Parts: sequence; C-alpha cells; structure tokens
Amino acid sequence: MSTTALLTTLQFAGVNALFALAIYASLRTGVLSLAPVFFGAVSAFTFGYTAGTVGLSVPLALVVGVGLGAAMGAVTAVLIIRLDSHYLAMATIAMVLIGRVLIINLVEYTGGPTGTLVPGDLGTWAWLIGSLVVACYVMSRLAGSRYGLAADAVREDPAVAQTLAISPRRIQFVGFVISGALGGAAGIFQASFLQYIGPDTFYTHLGFVTLAAVVLGGAFHWAGPVVGAIAFTLLPELLREPMGEYDRVVTGVLLVIIIIYMPRGLVDVRRLRLLRSRGRRRAVDDDATPTPTDRDTTPAQVTT
Amino acid sequence: MQLLAQQLVNGIALGSIYALFAVGFALILAKMGILNVAHGTFATWGALASYYLVTERGLSFWVALALGVLLAGALGVAADQLAFEPLRRRGAGVFAPIIASIGIWIVLLTLAEAHAGPTAVSYPAESVPAEPFRFLGLIMLPAQVISVLALVVVVTGVHLLLTRTRFGSAIRAVAVDPRSATIVGVNARRTLIAVAFLAAAIAGLAGILGALSDNNVSATIGEGLLLKGFAAVVVGGYGDIRGAALVGVVIGVLEVMSSQYISSGFRDAITFGVLLVVLVARPQGVFGERQLVRA
Repeated sequence: MSTTALLTTLQFAGVNALFALAIYASLRTGVLSLAPVFFGAVSAFTFGYTAGTVGLSVPLALVVGVGLGAAMGAVTAVLIIRLDSHYLAMATIAMVLIGRVLIINLVEYTGGPTGTLVPGDLGTWAWLIGSLVVACYVMSRLAGSRYGLAADAVREDPAVAQTLAISPRRIQFVGFVISGALGGAAGIFQASFLQYIGPDTFYTHLGFVTLAAVVLGGAFHWAGPVVGAIAFTLLPELLREPMGEYDRVVTGVLLVIIIIYMPRGLVDVRRLRLLRSRGRRRAVDDDATPTPTDRDTTPAQVTT
Repeated sequence: MQLLAQQLVNGIALGSIYALFAVGFALILAKMGILNVAHGTFATWGALASYYLVTERGLSFWVALALGVLLAGALGVAADQLAFEPLRRRGAGVFAPIIASIGIWIVLLTLAEAHAGPTAVSYPAESVPAEPFRFLGLIMLPAQVISVLALVVVVTGVHLLLTRTRFGSAIRAVAVDPRSATIVGVNARRTLIAVAFLAAAIAGLAGILGALSDNNVSATIGEGLLLKGFAAVVVGGYGDIRGAALVGVVIGVLEVMSSQYISSGFRDAITFGVLLVVLVARPQGVFGERQLVRA
C-alpha cells in the first residue's frame, strides 16, 4: 500500500475511533446502541448546512454540531432508556433507518439522494488528533471517577447497582449524552474528511462495523475502541491486495472468532493483570511452594 | 374504488413476503434469544441459489425453490453451530450473539455480492408462472398468489407445530431454559438446530418469493426484507408469530397505500415511524405479552 493511501486510511481509522468511543460510552453503561450513527448524521448535515450554506465559522459550527449531538443523546435517552436490552438496540437501529429516510426527503437542507458538499476545513491531522486526544482524555478520566465506577456497576448488574444507591437510568442517561456528543463530533469529522455526505454515509453498515470495532478492541477499557477501530479500518485495506473482493470475509470471520475466543477484546486489562500476577507468582514459586492463601488472593479469583 | 381494491391486493401480497420473513426472524428471536442481523442474508442466498439452479442447471422453478429453501436452512444451521453454539455453551450474554451475527452477516453478504455481481437479473420468463389471474376485475399475479398462500401455510404450520405437538412443547421449553428442558428429557441442542433450520428456511422462502415478485434477483434482497421483517417483529411482538405475521401484512399494505396516496418518498418513514412510536409506547409489541424477568 502506498504511503498516501495508508495516511488516508489512518485518517478514517481516527474518525472511526471517535465513532467507536461514542458507542463505547453507552456500552459501558450496559446499553447496546447504534444511535451515535444517527447523531453523527444529524450533526454532519447540520454542520454542512451551517458552515456551508449559512456561512457560520467552522469552529463555531463544530461546537453547534457537538452540542446538538449531546442534546439529541439526552432526548433519545429520555424516550428509550427504559426499554429492555433487545428492544433498546432495535430502537436505535430504527433511528438509523429513519435518519436515512429523513436525509433523502429533506432535500432543501441535505441535498436529498444526491447528498451535499461539506467544507473540508476540519479534515486535517491536527483537528483529528486533537479531538481524539481530548476524547480519550475525557474517557480515561471518567473511567476512575465516581461516574465510571457507577457505570461499571450498572453494566454488570443493574439490580445490584440499585441496592448501592446508584440510579441505572441516570447513569445510562449520562452515557447517552456523552455518546451523543462524541457521535456528533465523529460525524462532523467524517463529513469534513469526505467533503461530501449522502444518505448512505451514515447507515447501518457504519454502525455495525463500528460496533464490531468496539468488540474487537475490547469494551472494558477506553483504549479498546481506539485500537479496535484502527485495526478494523486498516485490516481490510491491507487484505485488499491479496484477497481482492473477499477482504471483508476475513473481517467477518475474525469478528466471530474474537467474540467466541476473546470475548473481552484485544485490550483486556483484566487479562494483562492476570498475566502479570502469574509472572509474579512464578517468581515467588521459585523461592517457596505456594500456599492456598496465595492463590486465593490473586486477581485470578476476582470475577467481574 | 377499483384502484383501492387493487392496491389492497398488491399491499397484502407484498406484506405476505415481509410477514414470511418476520415469522422466521421472530422464531430465532423468541426461541433462541438471538437478534440475528444475518437473517436477511439467508433470504438472499435462498434466492441466489434458486436462480443459479434455474439458469445454470436448468431445473424447474419449483425444484429450485425447494432446494433454495433447503440451502438457506442449512446455512442457518451452519451459522448456529459455528457461531452461536459456542457462545451458548459459554453462557455469553445477550450482546455476544448480536456481534457474532454481524460477523456472519458481513461474510454472507460479501460472498453474495461477489457471486451475484453488480448487474440486476431476474428468473427467465419462461421458467416461472406468469399468467395473471383475474377475479372481480382485480389482477393477481401468480407470484402474489403464491406469496399469500405460502404465508398462510407457513404461519398455520409453524403455529400448530409450536402449540399442538410434542416437538413444539420441546421448543418452547428450550426457549425458556435449555438446562431445565434437558433435565426433563429434551435434547436441547437438536431442538435448537431444528429451530435454526426452520427459521432460516422460511427466510429463504421469503427471499425467493420476494425475488419472484420484484422480478429481480440481487445480493441485497435480504437487506430490505431484514428491515421490514424487523419492524414487523417489533411492532407485532415476538411472543406469538401470528402477531408478527399480521403486522408484516399491515406494513406491506401501509407501504403500497402511502406511496399511492401520500408520497413514495416517505414510504419507509411511515413504516419506521410506526415502529418507533410502538417501541416507545408499547415496548412489548401490540400483541406481545409482558414478560416478568429479573432486572
């Protein structure tokens, strides 16, 4: 692969990482949602309209788009957060489907089936890396915060979380708002890179592939979605030469294999800790025979 | 009036195909607890296989239909055994099967696109029944009549199977809890394989009839069916396949009527709008029963 092609692919990997973080933001509160794709679509078309047609300054249009994403996240959460897991996932898929119909029919604002051109001012490495760093920083700070711990509890067992005075609905609401803001930002950067968006830019395919990236990377640490998105974007490009049109078959097979054999993904902090403690234990074993209490206190026994 | 009646006929025929697909989709969702995104590709492969058999092997359409349905069923069993069975054995949660089904969907769709190519084709005109029936001034194409008949037969058959036979009781027991079912002497794995086969075979039938009605065999037949079938299952509730089937027919009628009398552009918006409203207002579906489960 040539260097330019690789760089372009890496840029898309960055955008996909933002989308993946958006899905991760709600997944870590125990909600499987494809809504970020819809939020991204609305923000991207709003960005195209405000920055392109109305003539708003680009950074201001970005702020408006991200704010709009967060607001839609909040509204969506109020409406659908009480649904059961399957139904909730379905509702968010339905949102993506409706989004496409809206885009096709609101010709005045979106260009309809032909799509619309978008200013490419944000399609630079500086903006992309800057936003990714900000997003990762926020997610990493959240992970150890009171919110992050509460989110982990809600994800593992909402009933138990409730007995600990955590409101699952409120945690999931916050997750949706973060997811909305990240999805909005991702949509805008996607639009700015492509400089053209149409009804199929933000559709189920994007949602499913991004979800796959989150699972591949690991949905238990903020670095997982980033690693997964980069791997999942690069892999088909690298496979295109040897595999031709079958490159995506490998992606699909890989997805099934990973969910069966590595359900916690590539970035699995628990496994890393486990390996480290095993190494430490082996060092101890050389000195003395292990006692049962040793084994009881290893993190291997801690199930999350 | 004549136009309205004719469009009603067209709507019911279109809706029958959605309903057929929805029945298979609901079976997997209700009895195996899997939201199977790959279900549409079973329909696609059924249609592609039957087209290949008719054009390349020179089989009659009816034989090709039967073989296409069998192939779709076999694909369903393969997907179930290769991807879902290991997850079941590990007791993975509700999300893992969805992810696995996305993987299967990517694989089968890519292979279908590679196999079918970009050009749109249809069954050779001389191989399929084409003489329209006339009844009270209404025109009914053979494909439409076959779709409606297939829906009635499948819904009746599956419903009787589930409610009136020992095997149906076994399926329902496994759906509640495979382990308890095993204790009372049900072979859970065999039962699930049978459900996977049945659901995917019905999807294959829907795909073939959809291709026949549209006069178009392509790699994306299943995608459209998946969206409509999915809407039918959510609105109808997946506890009872009759609800999903009825809503599937209603969606078909709504689509035809709204493109006739409102606007063809908003055809899908109406379907999915109804879907979203029902989800928010009545999440268990119009005909669904509320299930009591621990939070």
